[in-house]
Amino acid sequence: MFAMLRAAGRALIGRDTFVSVPPMDGPFKPNALLEQAERLFILPDVDSVVTAGGAAYCSAGRCLHRIEHRGGAFVAVEARRFGSRVAFLAGAPNGRLIVGVESEGLHVRTADSAWSFVPVPTPLSSCMTAGAALDDERVLVCVGSTRNRAVDWKRDLMENGASGAVVVVELGKGAVRTIAADLAFPYGALVQRNGTVLVSESWRHRILRLRISTDRAPETLLDDLPAYPARMAAASDGGFWLALFAPRRQLFEFLLVEHDFRRDMIATIDEDDWIGPDYRSSDAPDQPLQQGSVRQMGIVKPWAPSRSYGLVARCDADGAPIGSLHSRADGSLHGVASIAEWNQDLLIASRGAGVVARVASFEAAHD
Amino acid sequence: MTSDAFIRLRYRLVPDRIVGEILSKSWIDSAIPALALVLVVVSMQIAIPGYFSAGSLSDLSRQVAEFGLVAIAMTIVMLSGGIDLSVGSMFALCVLAALTSMNVLGLPIGVAAAATAATGLACGALNGALVGYLRLRAFITTLVTLVIFRALYDIVFPRLASGIVGSSPQSPLWDTIGFGDVVGVPVSFVIFAVLAIVIHIGLSRLKPGWRLRAVGGARRSAYNAGINVKLTVFFAYVASGLLVATAAFLFSARLGSTGADTGIGLEIAILTAVLLGGVTLGGGRGSVGNAIIGSLFVLILTSGLIRLGLPGSLNQLILGVILVAATLFNAKWIKNRGKVLAKVYVSPTYLGLPERTAAPERFAMNDRLGAAEPIGLGEVEGPEDVVLDGQDNLYTGTRHGTIVKFFAPDYRRSEVFARIGGHPLGLVFAPDGDLYTCVGGMGVYKVSPNGEVARVTDETNRSWFSIIDDSRLRLPDDLDIAPDGRIFFSEATIRYEMSEWAVDGLEGRGNGRLICHDPKTGRTRTVLRGLKFPNGIAMCRDGQSLLFAETWACRINRYWFDGPKAGVREVFIDGLPGYPDNLNRGSDGTFWIALLGMRTKTFDLAMRKPGFRRRVAKRLAPDEWLFPNINRGCVVRVSEQGEILDVLWDRRGEKHASITSTCEHKGWLYLGGVSNNRVGRVRIDGADPTWTTAHDDGGRR
Repeated sequence: MFAMLRAAGRALIGRDTFVSVPPMDGPFKPNALLEQAERLFILPDVDSVVTAGGAAYCSAGRCLHRIEHRGGAFVAVEARRFGSRVAFLAGAPNGRLIVGVESEGLHVRTADSAWSFVPVPTPLSSCMTAGAALDDERVLVCVGSTRNRAVDWKRDLMENGASGAVVVVELGKGAVRTIAADLAFPYGALVQRNGTVLVSESWRHRILRLRISTDRAPETLLDDLPAYPARMAAASDGGFWLALFAPRRQLFEFLLVEHDFRRDMIATIDEDDWIGPDYRSSDAPDQPLQQGSVRQMGIVKPWAPSRSYGLVARCDADGAPIGSLHSRADGSLHGVASIAEWNQDLLIASRGAGVVARVASFEAAHD
Repeated sequence: MTSDAFIRLRYRLVPDRIVGEILSKSWIDSAIPALALVLVVVSMQIAIPGYFSAGSLSDLSRQVAEFGLVAIAMTIVMLSGGIDLSVGSMFALCVLAALTSMNVLGLPIGVAAAATAATGLACGALNGALVGYLRLRAFITTLVTLVIFRALYDIVFPRLASGIVGSSPQSPLWDTIGFGDVVGVPVSFVIFAVLAIVIHIGLSRLKPGWRLRAVGGARRSAYNAGINVKLTVFFAYVASGLLVATAAFLFSARLGSTGADTGIGLEIAILTAVLLGGVTLGGGRGSVGNAIIGSLFVLILTSGLIRLGLPGSLNQLILGVILVAATLFNAKWIKNRGKVLAKVYVSPTYLGLPERTAAPERFAMNDRLGAAEPIGLGEVEGPEDVVLDGQDNLYTGTRHGTIVKFFAPDYRRSEVFARIGGHPLGLVFAPDGDLYTCVGGMGVYKVSPNGEVARVTDETNRSWFSIIDDSRLRLPDDLDIAPDGRIFFSEATIRYEMSEWAVDGLEGRGNGRLICHDPKTGRTRTVLRGLKFPNGIAMCRDGQSLLFAETWACRINRYWFDGPKAGVREVFIDGLPGYPDNLNRGSDGTFWIALLGMRTKTFDLAMRKPGFRRRVAKRLAPDEWLFPNINRGCVVRVSEQGEILDVLWDRRGEKHASITSTCEHKGWLYLGGVSNNRVGRVRIDGADPTWTTAHDDGGRR
């Protein structure tokens, strides 16, 4: 009888299941390690950070910068300016550096500073998000979406986009081969010692493991992450670092099933004013706000449901998260999409703050 | 756009909110038993033609009188959190006492009644003492007394049986109680009705009843609140005994004899009736009405089944099944009612806000509030409104329920000026120096210059067609005083408490009203209804009209309460880019509008999608709800004609993220914020350094 009543109630009242996102708990227990990281220099639009041949590089807009230590301070020295936005940086064997440039392709710099170029066809090249060198000849490239350009990533999320792909580019022949398709915004790649490749599938909050040589379907390594995963970097003592660029929120996930509202939002409102995750929280008057983020007694609570967040996770060699660094809602080092280990330090590129920061990696790994 | 029009029409025509409002009424607990009763009546009428003839109704009403009294007795005990299984045996003993007095001993009827009552009293007192004072379990205790009373009856009855049957008393009053009627209504039923009404009033409106419910609902809390729990429980059983005795007396007068089986199984029938009626086993919930509904149900059903020719045992079986079903339903209902209510109460409606037409170019970001000096930083929490007196001292309300006074000239020293008990919102000084304030959750209060607090009003007239009781003030927000002393104040919403004001924003319906209190007559009347979160109020300088803000509608209205245009309401400013809060007069014939927060395109879109907002309320935790951007407020200065002159922002949005009120005083602008931890002040360039609100008080001087 009660089952019947319940069914009747459901018909009357509608679906009442709570939308839930995984809590920041266990290895993701919040702390202030990221927020307290030493800020090395300001670099607006900084996106990627990578090490190659012992040097550290970062990208911001159309520029590639080399990070140098001069007179006790870190500075970014412009190394090259490209014709379009730098999509990703990746280190390769023999000190080579691979620079993915949007709408163009891959620029490869050898250890003796000679540049070569391999074009990547559109639409693959217009939404490259990450890359990793498989060996001397082959580079694995993540393509976030084949429908939307990289700048339109919010649209891709709001359209429940799943048109991303992972491709392999052969530097010598320029051939491009797709090894995984229909992915929901692959945003990071890491080649592991055993020859498998990890790919972060951002909109599905998970890390996949691919095998290049076989046609086997990718297996899921990490699932139901509390934030949107982005790029990965190898850690010196095994395992890897994972940058998660924005938090999952109940409201965002709810929106993804509210088709009518989402359609109207996409059609009538500027992307900047949409509800959804972002690299930084703006305080412009037009920004959407969630009730928990209302400033109370002069402060925004650290647990407020903000649009942006700073999160870097440390995973062990088996891929299990073992710790994390946070910059919470009341902090500003948000939107970290790229990290790299360099001389015992963990370099952090915060796209939200436009800052490159560092923490001692030993400290970060064992806290 | 056509689907938009359809949604608008659908939400205008279908009043969704009614379901939630009905569910929130306390009488809803009785509605389902009442429906069950109607069902039984109708089905009996169909199954047995002529079932409800005048003759059988008269017979039924006599039974109801006796049965109902015992049911009320059980209800009282169950309200106290106990149970009385001994009612059947107690009933038999009382019948024996009445008949022995009348038939065997031939005592006068008054003495017989006293003897019957004394029997009931003694039985009840025994139960009460055991359960109340010796703290024995009610169930076991009354089960034991059931057996004891029955044994007593079985010992005494056979010796007196011949005497009872052998003689009949010569008392006209006795016969009248048994068989007489008053204009067609049996006397016993009249007695029952009078008692039922008296007990209902006692239980629902008087202290003893409230104490009884408190004890049954939460024994420990009742004890902590200072209620004598043991005595209350004791008296519940005593009252039960007396009511059973009354029922027994009516029964004796009607039948004039008794048998060995009198009262056997009565407790089960009564328990069925009471539980079916909606009285809860756990205690604290139930009413006389519940008992009567249940009694009618059981009596009509059982006598109907007998007339249908069902054997008695089957009859008992059916009653047992109903008892189990009623108990089950009762438990589930109590457990889930709150959940269902929480799911259906929030009922958003369509709200299409106009484009932001109010001088968008004037709203460019600046930092004119960035230099605001803090007053009471960290000392005040939630200064919704600020006001200054003739000596330049500053007053503001806090969420701790106080009004704090900051002393001129530097506002470093402060004292608690008055303790109100609720969060004071709008503040205004009357010409005689009294400080009037709207207190969230309480009403309108005034504080004399030496800090004495007095209530001005906390209720208004009840509207005819409102399901929820809108006579009590829930969220008075801001007020101003007309030249003749009438106080006009806004009540932001009648559907939510102060702490839930944000939910009202999710609804976007006109749940608020404008109310007028006239101190000369002491009467409070609602002036305008259906306003979308009416907030700030400011008298215009003509002394005949006032401005009031409708927060969710993003507009300012003007309302004429006097003069040739009395009763007219006009839009003063429409299409504001933010949510207006308090309004105040400024120098040079201007008005200040505090914008609590700014509109966002996504929230505007959500306001046009009521279904979306309903699902937000249902499926997301409140902290995750979409909200207007109230981390971004500003202050707007407008002319007497509603032309926007000036907008002041705090660019960093840290000192005054949300601004809920302003007060211009001698060239300074004072800022309040309902969720801020400070009052701020900034110099206003070029403002008259002598101007104060009191000098420009809408023609009052």
